[in-house]
Amino acid sequence: MFSDYAAAIVLLPVLAFVLTLFLGKKLYSGGAPLPIAAIAGSFIISLGIFFEIYPGGVVQQSWPWFANLNIGILIDPLAVVMLLMVSFVSLLIHIYAVGYMAHDPAKPRYFAETSLFTAAMLAVVLSDNILQFFIAWEIVGVCSFLLIGFWYHKPSAAAAAKKAFLVTRVGDVLFLAGIVLLYVNMSELIAGRALTPESGNFILQFKTMFEAIPYIDSGQLTLITLLFFGGAIGKSGQFPLHGWLPDAMEGPTTVSALIHAATMVTAGVYLVARTFPMFVATPDSLVHGIPDSLLVVAIVGGFTALFAATMGLVMNDIKRVLAYSTVSQLGYMMLALGTAGAVIGAKAVGISMFHLISHAFFKALLFLCAGSVIHAVGTNDIREMGGLFGKMKITAITMLIAALALAGIGIPFINIGTAGFFSKDMIIEGAFEYGEITGGWGWVFYGFAILAALLTSIYIFRLWFMTFTGKPRSERRAHESPNIMTLPLMILAVFALFFGFSQSGFYPYLETNFELMGVEIAGHEGEALHPSAIIIMLPVIVGVLGIVISYMIYHRRMLDMSKIVSSENPLYKLLINRYYEPRLSADIIGVKLTHDVAAQSGEFVDRKIIDGLVIDNIISSTLFQVGEVIRKLQTGVVQNYAAITLLGVGLLILLLKIGGM
Amino acid sequence: MADLYSYLLVAIIIFTIGSYGIITQRSGIKILMCIELLLNAANINLVAFSSFNGSATGQVFALFSIAIAAAEAAIGFAILIALFRIRDTINLDNINILRW
Repeated sequence: MFSDYAAAIVLLPVLAFVLTLFLGKKLYSGGAPLPIAAIAGSFIISLGIFFEIYPGGVVQQSWPWFANLNIGILIDPLAVVMLLMVSFVSLLIHIYAVGYMAHDPAKPRYFAETSLFTAAMLAVVLSDNILQFFIAWEIVGVCSFLLIGFWYHKPSAAAAAKKAFLVTRVGDVLFLAGIVLLYVNMSELIAGRALTPESGNFILQFKTMFEAIPYIDSGQLTLITLLFFGGAIGKSGQFPLHGWLPDAMEGPTTVSALIHAATMVTAGVYLVARTFPMFVATPDSLVHGIPDSLLVVAIVGGFTALFAATMGLVMNDIKRVLAYSTVSQLGYMMLALGTAGAVIGAKAVGISMFHLISHAFFKALLFLCAGSVIHAVGTNDIREMGGLFGKMKITAITMLIAALALAGIGIPFINIGTAGFFSKDMIIEGAFEYGEITGGWGWVFYGFAILAALLTSIYIFRLWFMTFTGKPRSERRAHESPNIMTLPLMILAVFALFFGFSQSGFYPYLETNFELMGVEIAGHEGEALHPSAIIIMLPVIVGVLGIVISYMIYHRRMLDMSKIVSSENPLYKLLINRYYEPRLSADIIGVKLTHDVAAQSGEFVDRKIIDGLVIDNIISSTLFQVGEVIRKLQTGVVQNYAAITLLGVGLLILLLKIGGM
Repeated sequence: MADLYSYLLVAIIIFTIGSYGIITQRSGIKILMCIELLLNAANINLVAFSSFNGSATGQVFALFSIAIAAAEAAIGFAILIALFRIRDTINLDNINILRW
């Protein structure tokens, strides 16, 4: 019954967007109840659909669009868990925003845009073909631009919005190129009768795409998947297109929470998970037994996980630390798809999605807590905070829970722990098995994962200790946030704590996903590996170690940090300048490449070659003389021109008619 | 597609309104809007004929035309804004420095 209304999951928030935009000013709190009600509706429908199709059911609806394309809905296990997460987290963030944005005059615009943002993300999730996926994906991009630049009167916010849009655009162009290439390949296959989709199936639908996998030329398949992954790199802030994510902190904190947890950045991971059979089917030309595209995914993911974590260590802006943490955790998700995907096949999607969803809970919670702190003290700089524990107990405790979840703290063997404990552990184990199977350099991923886990734990507890413990470092009067803000915090904290226990149902459920789509994924079954006790415990050990290190440095102040945190230290300088990435993209790409090379050489050609050779000779002087005569025709009244044009065209048609057309 | 004519009639009406506007209006913005009307009248024709003939070519063409119209509007309005900054007017009668 609920599945008949699947389209409403997207349409309700869209409706709320339109209504809030136009009527918001006259309604309570800038029209906030509208998107909240709409997204709650989406959540209820998603939940209803989940109970209808669990386990092993799929909702498929499709309508012809034009030519051989369609618009459709596909809700399989992969999509339904995403739908639940996106609508639920987005709902909580919207409720929280009622309190957080209470003093902002532009509330109707805010709630309208976040509503559209959520709608676009939901549309990404339930698309049944790659073209519709791309369209929704682009709407997500537009909304992120609007929301990051929400306070557009601030130059830094406007610049950040522009950067987010341009950088993700690089990925989007690659993604589009991948779709075009796929379309060309598939239409050739269909024309050559190698592939005959059943009637009612359309060319760019995911199921047709998966049917076509064995027939597509393997080199082309690698190229297509890498182009798709390029899109995912842009959207999910993976190296080297990660720069926009930390800058996106210029928007309101609730927007950051939306972008980082529920919508936007997870779309990239979702894309790879969605087209996972294609990634697995790529040839293993580089390393034996490892599909090329998955290798690239693993390398990018693993590197990003560590790379972003190092920058998280030194940031002083509370939201920036969290932003780098997101980049790093997204790296983990990609790493899971890449490494575990290569060794255990379709299960990797479950592992990655499980981390994606548990990450959504605790990252949304971290951001909302950060928002609560910022709301209370009025600054983003953790150096000016401190000693807030007594003043804002709920925020401090919920943030501690989120930090524990991010650090992946739990008790191995008896399986009690935070959401991050279960999800991250699986990823690290996947990387371990990868190392076991490939050996040699394959251990690099495992090393990266463990090292990043240590850094994660250090930076998040650095943040927590500096914010909530010690003595206040500035004269700011803090107070606990209103109930409408703390309630979502507590709900999210419950999920950050207990979501991990759903793993026993989660993995088998997602494993059925591609079987339901009729795709076989050849995984290396092999013998089940039993990692030794130390391997199972290592993620938790490094997590605890990180907490202890942070506790000693930032709470007990047992180490003099002034030597390390100074402009003398080259490593610190490298990190605080974010590996010079902003400067690189602005100076080298923006100024040197675009202005100095492209624009200047264009100017040179224009002035010296074209003007120099042509203007001063006969051609130009003749033209000048002719122009002198003809220019008298120019009356300068636009209406005359328009009238003459119309008359001329009319006359032309008349002549053609008479001429015997 | 029995009533192709009604579509064409709508297109003709829109086109006429647009061309009337272009000839009579003085404000740059109004003229740009009228140009949009002309373009969209053409689009209606394209789509109507495409549907009438049962081929997608016309629809694809209309999509191109919409994209070009968007580019044209963006540039047109940018020029008008720039003009307004310099001359404090968008009345096209006063903007004739290129006249002989």
